[in-house]
Amino acid sequence: MSRHPISCILPPYMLDQIAQNGTPEQRQKAEVTATLTAQFRASRLEMAARPSAVPRAPGVAMRQRAVYTANFGSSLPGQLVRAEGAPPSGDAAVDEAYDGSGATYDLYWDVYQRNSIDGSGMRLDSTVHYQQGYDNAFWNGQQMVYGDGDEDLPPAQRLFNRFTISIDVIGHELTHGVTQFTGNLIYSNQPGALNESFSDVFGTLVKQRALGQSVDQADWLIGAGLFTANVQGVALRSMKEPGTAYNDPVLGKDPQPGHMSGYVNTTSDNGGVHINSGIPNHAFYLTAMEIGGFAWEKAGRIWYVTLRDRIRSTTNFQQAADLTYTVAGELFGVNSLEQMAVKHGWAGVGITVGSSSDGDTPQGCLQSVLKVFGIR
Amino acid sequence: MIIIFERTGGFAGITQRAVIDTASLSPEERQALEALLEQAGFFDLPPRLAREGEGVDRFQYLVTIEHGDRKHTVVLSEEAMPESLQPLMRRLSLLARRFRSP
Repeated sequence: MSRHPISCILPPYMLDQIAQNGTPEQRQKAEVTATLTAQFRASRLEMAARPSAVPRAPGVAMRQRAVYTANFGSSLPGQLVRAEGAPPSGDAAVDEAYDGSGATYDLYWDVYQRNSIDGSGMRLDSTVHYQQGYDNAFWNGQQMVYGDGDEDLPPAQRLFNRFTISIDVIGHELTHGVTQFTGNLIYSNQPGALNESFSDVFGTLVKQRALGQSVDQADWLIGAGLFTANVQGVALRSMKEPGTAYNDPVLGKDPQPGHMSGYVNTTSDNGGVHINSGIPNHAFYLTAMEIGGFAWEKAGRIWYVTLRDRIRSTTNFQQAADLTYTVAGELFGVNSLEQMAVKHGWAGVGITVGSSSDGDTPQGCLQSVLKVFGIR
Repeated sequence: MIIIFERTGGFAGITQRAVIDTASLSPEERQALEALLEQAGFFDLPPRLAREGEGVDRFQYLVTIEHGDRKHTVVLSEEAMPESLQPLMRRLSLLARRFRSP
């Protein structure tokens, strides 16, 4: 799928602005250019149509959260339990969803000046107690949803705790929303694995920041605490050592590769989106370790700006590597320590930045637009 | 009755694959499972219940059941799954922990 160059320089929210406020000609161009996917558009429409939608106040950054319970059924969003500013409910899942979405909002706002998922203060809705024996959490395009794991089994048989127990799971799900409103990576194969990886990256950064951990203090695990003591494993994924998070007689072994040599070609799981995400996850880990300090400050900023401005729906691993390298150069200087760390990070997983041939390396939007017009 | 069960996807990304021979279940378990199959109308389900592009971190199921001379395979994505199927999928997922294929 090729993309009209204007959509490359204009982030979706600007297209929206033009569509609403531009001249007739600009409006028409903006509409033509709106390569916002059907998924994105549909979810925006649905959101606008929801009576619960909070009016947006541009420029004013305020956390807006709402936590609902599905009461072990499937209806979404369910019954409101805790609105913004309400005291703790005493229900652990409700309060974890509330606090975790707050910590995620804070990472995006305090560090990256992003006002919520959509950049415009969208309310963060979460539903807990979803279904019975639901060992999963997901983002449905509009909100986060969490199951209670194996709450329907006797304790001795339980493998999964409630999914809100791990703050990085909450950051992961919310970041799916951020991705939907920015790069909108399609959910299959390498773009899908990148979609998953961005969620793991910012999920773990939410956790590291909440705990005040530097790169060498962090555990770099995704879903620590989700397994009960009945499972032989520490978490669902390890960004530090993909493939080592669990090895259990009932659940099997962590299948993640941490290097392109272990890339898994499969049709399952939308082309292995939760498997091959180990490769970009590990590249981020290596980059952050080389830079040192707090991972959200520099490595996180490089990944965030790349996601916000450069990632497209079909970006693959090589392109993502090249884009993060370019962004690191723009943010911290060409050949800066930070840019070298990005290069080394990707090299550590078997990806050489810039190897997709010099001229075709994604070099930012201006260059690609100039190229379209024959100016180089 | 033979059940071939596969569940992929989900936040955890843990793939479950199992072949369940209901002859190895207790009579109570077998009865409960048959009731769930009945309730779900499994043999009357369309072979594909999927919806694209809605939500992430959801489960996908591939279930084949052979029962007497009947055999039916269903591909299911969670987004498109009727609520009436959820108890059956939960039951099969728990059985798949016990009868996991290597």
